[in-house]
Amino acid sequence: MIEARRKRRVAEEADINITPLLDIVFILLIFFIVTTSFVKEFGVSMNRPAKAPVKEEEQSKLISVRITERSTVLVDSREVELGAVRANIEAGLASKPDAAVVVIADRAADAGLLVRVVDQARVAGAGSVSLAAPASSSE
Amino acid sequence: MIFRRRRQEAEEDGEISITPMLDIVFILLIFFIVTTSFVKEPGIDPSRPTAETARKAERGNILVAVSARDRVWMNKRPVEMSDVRQLVEASLAENPDSSVVIVADEGASTGMVIDLMDRVGLAGVQNVSLAAEPVD
Repeated sequence: MIEARRKRRVAEEADINITPLLDIVFILLIFFIVTTSFVKEFGVSMNRPAKAPVKEEEQSKLISVRITERSTVLVDSREVELGAVRANIEAGLASKPDAAVVVIADRAADAGLLVRVVDQARVAGAGSVSLAAPASSSE
Repeated sequence: MIFRRRRQEAEEDGEISITPMLDIVFILLIFFIVTTSFVKEPGIDPSRPTAETARKAERGNILVAVSARDRVWMNKRPVEMSDVRQLVEASLAENPDSSVVIVADEGASTGMVIDLMDRVGLAGVQNVSLAAEPVD
């Protein structure tokens, strides 16, 4: 008789009330549903060149792409159309394998043109594309 | 006796098993915890240039936007260029492995973008990318 009662008590104690746990879990769930944003930005990664001056033998292994303030593009000092940038860089890479591409943009040029030029250089197969430009005078 | 048994049966029928529901709720909870990234919206949606090599910016949590009129936006408000470094450092302290995406309008000037890149670099973020629309 006593044993039976003890057994029943153990069974009752083992039954944990999970309602508060459920409340917390639901609150957490609602919080995460509300705050989650699945925004994913697409982008072209960009490097700034090291501050150290470029050595002369390295300079010959560079393909410079210049963007002027009038939004014209010069590849190795030759003015080209935006559509021809890729072909020109490919030709440059063929004569100078493993050459790095440096984009030198005027501060007044459009950022959209800069992204397109860097994109074209990447498509042409340039291993590293870095962005050079004069820093603002305030620095 | 019969009456009592019937009552007990009815009580048993009324008790719904919540274990499967709990399983689903926990799975949903874990899914949302894992996928949540607290991206801070810059507040404006500039028109991005298209690029063939545009890649999904992994962990691109810190967004800095530049409008066509060269105004810098972060955290849904316009900010001064001099405050960018501090704001990026604060965001970086919250999520140490986040990268920065500069969402520049097509008409924004390159000088602004370069200044932003330098300031972001000073704040300690090496992984900077410029937002672009992927070509389908």
